[in-house]
Amino acid sequence: MLLDPGFLIVQTLNGLQLAALLFLLSIGLSVVFGLMNFINLAHGTLFMAGAYLALTVVRAFDSFWLALLVAPLGVAVLGGLLYLLLLRHLERADPMRQVLATFGLIFVGIEVVDLVWGSLPHTIDVPLLLAGSSTILGQVYPTYRLFIIALGVLLFVLLYAVLERTRLGAVVRAGVDNRSMVAALGINVGAVFFLVFCLGCLLAGLAGAVAAPVFSIFPGMDLSVLILALIVVVLGGPGSLKGVAVGALIIGIADTYGQVVVPEMARLTVYALMAVILLCKPAGLIPVRGVH
Amino acid sequence: MQSRDRVQLPAAGLLAVAAAVAWLRGDFFTMELLAEIAILAIFTMSLQILVGMTGMVSLGHAGFLAAGAYATAAATLFGGWPPVAALALSVVVAALLAATVGLFVIRLSGVFFIMITLAVGQMFHAYFFRAKLFGGDNGMAGTPRFDLAAVGLDSADSATFAALLLVCAALVYLLLLRLTRSPFGMMLGAIGQNEHRLASLGCPVRRYKLAAFAAAGAVAGLAGGLTAQHTGFISPDLAFWTFSGEALIIVILGGSGSLAGAAAGAALFVLLRDLLSSGSFWSGLSLPAELAAHWQLVMGLLFIVVVLAARDGLYGRLAWLIEALRSRRGAAS
Repeated sequence: MLLDPGFLIVQTLNGLQLAALLFLLSIGLSVVFGLMNFINLAHGTLFMAGAYLALTVVRAFDSFWLALLVAPLGVAVLGGLLYLLLLRHLERADPMRQVLATFGLIFVGIEVVDLVWGSLPHTIDVPLLLAGSSTILGQVYPTYRLFIIALGVLLFVLLYAVLERTRLGAVVRAGVDNRSMVAALGINVGAVFFLVFCLGCLLAGLAGAVAAPVFSIFPGMDLSVLILALIVVVLGGPGSLKGVAVGALIIGIADTYGQVVVPEMARLTVYALMAVILLCKPAGLIPVRGVH
Repeated sequence: MQSRDRVQLPAAGLLAVAAAVAWLRGDFFTMELLAEIAILAIFTMSLQILVGMTGMVSLGHAGFLAAGAYATAAATLFGGWPPVAALALSVVVAALLAATVGLFVIRLSGVFFIMITLAVGQMFHAYFFRAKLFGGDNGMAGTPRFDLAAVGLDSADSATFAALLLVCAALVYLLLLRLTRSPFGMMLGAIGQNEHRLASLGCPVRRYKLAAFAAAGAVAGLAGGLTAQHTGFISPDLAFWTFSGEALIIVILGGSGSLAGAAAGAALFVLLRDLLSSGSFWSGLSLPAELAAHWQLVMGLLFIVVVLAARDGLYGRLAWLIEALRSRRGAAS
């Protein structure tokens, strides 16, 4: 089975598709972690919010593309409110308090979704334009999943350009490296961080909307995805864009092959991989700064 | 630290009296709540050794509880072991697993420690979820309780079993209190306050941390074994990371650093959950009874408030109050 090229191609594409979603989801988590030293467990909740917003828009206007626009913006606003109302007060707290306050948010998020949309799982259809299958490397593969992979690659290139070529990107890179130094240079670090936080939420919402046609949408869909995203961030090295990309690729591929090659081990492969990598490289694969 | 120590025994005494009164006057349902509180208290007290004393915030502690639960279930159901021996096995298995995991995880600290313990806890969950031997996601049913016929007691009776669990929790409390006041416990507390200073004084910090991790795992395993006996049914959910998270919240709720606080937090959590998930409570407040199904909403909000507001938890507030009263009395005389 493992030597069959068709099988390898399809599974690798599946892995890349998961990696693209994980990349979109993890980027916000990673930048916030790297910039503000903040672990936002509610990041998965924002992903779920994106999926549900997409569901609502698709039901109301019957347009997936509108949903793809509205859901990320809605989630960015939601994330911004969350930051101003709650997370701002936790910025200087120790990691345990951050983890636990945002842990509380997870339950609130699940229950709110349950109250508004009900506890039954929902699905939305793949948009007509991307329905059906394409042939790639001699294998028939769903077009929509190829779209997800392409979107992941596109956003990586885009974010990389922003981070490396713009003023905002320079401030963010400098902020990850040494926050107080940047502030001392007269840059309003707080405002930049807020912007970056909202952008991260936007991408989480985008991931949720994009995932909606392939995942089933239910209260609690954020729980297992959140753990994968956390693993991606920790693996890659918090605050590093390349790190997130590498981490997402590793986890996407490892999880996909783990599920089909050794089904009885399933997610175990991913967790074990993280444990091993963390032990060898405690600051992640592509550390942005030294561990203090 | 000293003012807290003065509250330790009165607080524990108060809890014991409350439990005794509830046990004497309670019906079947109260007994079930008491049993649940006793087990959860054992679990949160074990976590307190890690979090409150040594400063190791583990988000995977439930993994060891689950390992203990599965050890008891497997030993009694597959091996036909007597429940007492199976319980001992639970402690040993959990201690060994925690020692093995500890060898690796104690190298990390801060956020990375939280993350790696989370991953390890999830590994336990993933394993039990798939392991056909242990029933996979269906879990295992039918673990027997202690056979107390020899002393004329019936452990199937909920009042008897609740009393037994409460005695277990009290014993664990005394044991851990003894531990925290031993030279070993003093070292753990010192590591929690300033690890680097201890290391520079030549203390083998990692060895102490490993010992703390294994000890906490062993007690969590005991809680797991008792869970299997109490409910008779166990599932991989016991290892899920949200359970570890709840235990952490309880430890904070009760107050970091105190064993009695962790136990009180456990009692409070179980009672609150019971209250919030009962329809009559909500209709009593003239609110729709359906809210009972969404009790986690209120609990989640409460978690956030607790983390934001209570810096040193209920227990810290209590200690502060007692100190304030004491100093006023001292000034008056």
